[in-house]
Amino acid sequence: MRIVVAEDLYLLRDGMVRLIEACGHQVVATATTGPETLDALLTWRPDVSIVDVRMPPTQSDEGLRAALAARAELPGLPVLILSQHVEQLYARELLADGGGGIGYFLKESVFDADQFIDAVERVAGGGTAMDPAVIAKLLSSGSSNRRLGGLTEREHAVLALMAQGLSNRAIGERLFLSESAISKYTTSMFGKLGIVDDDNNNRRVLAVLTYLNEP
Amino acid sequence: MRQLGSWPARAGVGFVRACVVAAVSMLVPAVWAAAVALGIWWGAGNPWSWVAPFVLVAVGTLALSRPVCRMFRFLVARWTATVIPAGYRKAPPVTQLSTGYWWNGFSYERSSRDARMDQGWRIRWSDPANWRDLRFTAIAPITVGVIAAVPPAGLAGAVIGLSQPALPARALGLLGLVVAVAGAPYAWRSVEPVTARFLRASPAMVLADRVEELTAQRADTTVAQAAEIRRIERDLHDGAQARLVGLGLSLATAEKLMETDPEQARALMREARSGAATSLTELRELVKGINPPVLTERGLVDAVRALALDSPLEAAVSADVQLHLDPPIESAVYFGIAEVLTNAVKHARATRARISLTRDDTGIVVDVEDNGRGGAGLRTGGGLAGLRRRLAVFDGILEITSPVGGPTRVRMMVPCESL
Repeated sequence: MRIVVAEDLYLLRDGMVRLIEACGHQVVATATTGPETLDALLTWRPDVSIVDVRMPPTQSDEGLRAALAARAELPGLPVLILSQHVEQLYARELLADGGGGIGYFLKESVFDADQFIDAVERVAGGGTAMDPAVIAKLLSSGSSNRRLGGLTEREHAVLALMAQGLSNRAIGERLFLSESAISKYTTSMFGKLGIVDDDNNNRRVLAVLTYLNEP
Repeated sequence: MRQLGSWPARAGVGFVRACVVAAVSMLVPAVWAAAVALGIWWGAGNPWSWVAPFVLVAVGTLALSRPVCRMFRFLVARWTATVIPAGYRKAPPVTQLSTGYWWNGFSYERSSRDARMDQGWRIRWSDPANWRDLRFTAIAPITVGVIAAVPPAGLAGAVIGLSQPALPARALGLLGLVVAVAGAPYAWRSVEPVTARFLRASPAMVLADRVEELTAQRADTTVAQAAEIRRIERDLHDGAQARLVGLGLSLATAEKLMETDPEQARALMREARSGAATSLTELRELVKGINPPVLTERGLVDAVRALALDSPLEAAVSADVQLHLDPPIESAVYFGIAEVLTNAVKHARATRARISLTRDDTGIVVDVEDNGRGGAGLRTGGGLAGLRRRLAVFDGILEITSPVGGPTRVRMMVPCESL
């Protein structure tokens, strides 16, 4: 895979490049500021890019804005956003266009190299990957509390993992259940919530996230 | 004002009031007249005979100005709805020192009585309200006094004129009676606007109050800041620092075990990794408490939206425009809203909240309304009192309406320049 890494801190950028290359992927360009990021994304059109939210020159949300601008230009361009903190607000903005290929993670998710690379690959494949912290916040917000009241504990856990972007098989592995058991849970859950089930994993994740994001 | 029934009753009450106002406002001129009369009586030719009347005028005016002003305030408050704050300087408490002497803020005295007396004189002498009172005692006779004196003067004229047999004198007396009766309900009324205009706090007094207020605020801020820094230090010391030590220890042990027991070494390294993740989480919480990153990245409105999304309440945010404020004000308002939302969840058991951010000509106005059970109030040492203190640093105002049974409405107003 051809990957662009946008991160202003040298140590983190260098570490990430080494990790990615160790996993057999290719870093085609790096960027250290917002404008550079936008430029790199548009010229290289990478299979996936890893972008930090806060970058020079303003040290505000330069990276996030560059990623959103690039996706406005090239719809569906896979972007994985990394940040020191996760905000539902940003997750909503990233998911707003309804296209796949979005990831949003805390920086320390790179600690677990296997899961991190797995997420990168999922995003590159047009999937959605969300940090558990984002999903936890999403599930505990006021409107979710009210609407998810009818779910069993197990269904709740399945929903959380599904919202992170995992497939039924991956959810089964995490919860030590068979894939068919998971699909039984999802069917009953979707029935309770009134969401139309979709065979396409990514569309399903988006449906769940959209549902949770409704005010 | 009380509605007085019939017209004769109004005239009667008005007449009494006019007499009272005239008498009070003429007190000081009466002293002056007495002094002049004394000077003339002692002999107008000798310049030395004017010293005693001069002293009488000076002492009499100074001594009477404050009681006269007090009486005017009292009369106005009693007869109309206008309450004018006196604004005299208050005496701070006197304290006994370890030496046994008493300190009153100015000097050391042997007894607390002496200290209080000395303090009373000094404060009385240096009070900026003195100048206001003196000015008023000079203004009152010619504005209020002369008008209020019309009905009594008319009545006096009527008594004198009607007792005369001559027809023109009787006519004049009758005229005096008409003036006295017709003017009675109105003659005393100039006392309200004049008192309100000239007896309110003077700029010097406003300034003195402001200095006092700012001194108290500065002390508050310093204490709060020191406490905050101590909290951060403690959090870092017990949290991230301790964890990093543990992390280094695990790595050092793992290095030793690498050759002899690779399995154990790998477990230690996994432990180190999870320790690093935990310290990051702790640091993130700490940073969020100092300055939420989303505030730096997006400004107040989006930060409040993020806050509303994370809140267990169903909170709706409305803001007419993107507000750009000074970072310290943004931070104070953000933490203010966070505090109010927390209260709404914790104490009022609310499930919904509405937050609106608007700006008017003078500054930013934030309204937070919840559907909880109400009953919130300012308690010393409570969260809302702390919030009021933090806003006061920016001359901000906190208003709370929270009847028992709800809903609670909190309004924060902070003046700020348009950026």
